[in-house]
Amino acid sequence: MTAPFKHRFYLKAFLLMFFAACLWYAADAISAEEKAPPAQQAPGKATPILDPGDPSSILYLDTSGKLAGTGDSTKPPSQYYKIGMGWHPQALTDTRLPRDKYGLIDWAKLVKSNMVKPRWSLDPNDEEMPPLDLDIIITAKSDFVNDVRYPHWIHTWWLKCEVCHPKIFVPAKGQNKMFMTEIAQGQWCGRCHGKVSFPLTDCNRCHTVPKGASK
Amino acid sequence: MAVLLFLFLQAHAIYAAGPGDIRLDDKIESLKKAGVGPVIYPHAAHEKLYKCADCHPKIFKDKHGANDISMKRNMDGQFCGSPNCHNSPKAFPLYNCARCHTNVRAAR
Repeated sequence: MTAPFKHRFYLKAFLLMFFAACLWYAADAISAEEKAPPAQQAPGKATPILDPGDPSSILYLDTSGKLAGTGDSTKPPSQYYKIGMGWHPQALTDTRLPRDKYGLIDWAKLVKSNMVKPRWSLDPNDEEMPPLDLDIIITAKSDFVNDVRYPHWIHTWWLKCEVCHPKIFVPAKGQNKMFMTEIAQGQWCGRCHGKVSFPLTDCNRCHTVPKGASK
Repeated sequence: MAVLLFLFLQAHAIYAAGPGDIRLDDKIESLKKAGVGPVIYPHAAHEKLYKCADCHPKIFKDKHGANDISMKRNMDGQFCGSPNCHNSPKAFPLYNCARCHTNVRAAR
């Protein structure tokens, strides 16, 4: 009986030590937990307002923390393309980016108010061309809808003539037989608007000239 | 008496079923120029989502021919384009021509 008794003693001693270790560990973990929350809450209290004018703002960083879009331009832009395609609601709500009445970012207002100053070209040797100040009145087909005043000015801030002429629009007045149905299907203005530029949602953003007022 | 009762029931049945689809084609000449056909308004589809008083009589007078609907007025926030309807994120936007207009001209 002696040997099992000894075994039992060792077992008891071992279990006791084990429990003591467990308790010590648990107490440590609890105290660590108690300390941790204030440390996490402190930076969360001050909501950061992201300044789109600051080039080092996290707005312009990719998921790895580097400045986005500065990769090797000779390689396919798949990684940055994917990041750009992502939806970043946090970044959107924290900025003071101007929005239209549909909650979409008003990019034209953004550049007009100098909040962002995009480069003329990625090529430093490219000669900068001043925007073309020429409004075109496009008559709406319907008898009831306002005509469109097309401003070359805001479009030529970023785009060269060759982007649209002559492939999308023949550069002659009245030679482009545009239909709103075709634009909605991705032709004409719909080549960009609704894809990279503001969508067709706000009709009155383009249809501004009352019928007969242009003559 | 039986006839009256029958008529009453008939009227009640019509009221319960709603006015059905409404064809909007009073501006057909203008519609043709714009490359679209008339609108067939699905009243039943809207009845599922809204009560009568949501639209009548504030947005649409409930009488045939009493509403001078045009795309211009829709764009300006009247009729279909009321601020809580097809001019808001709550419903599909006005530029989806083919969702309402029939015979929409296809892109070349």
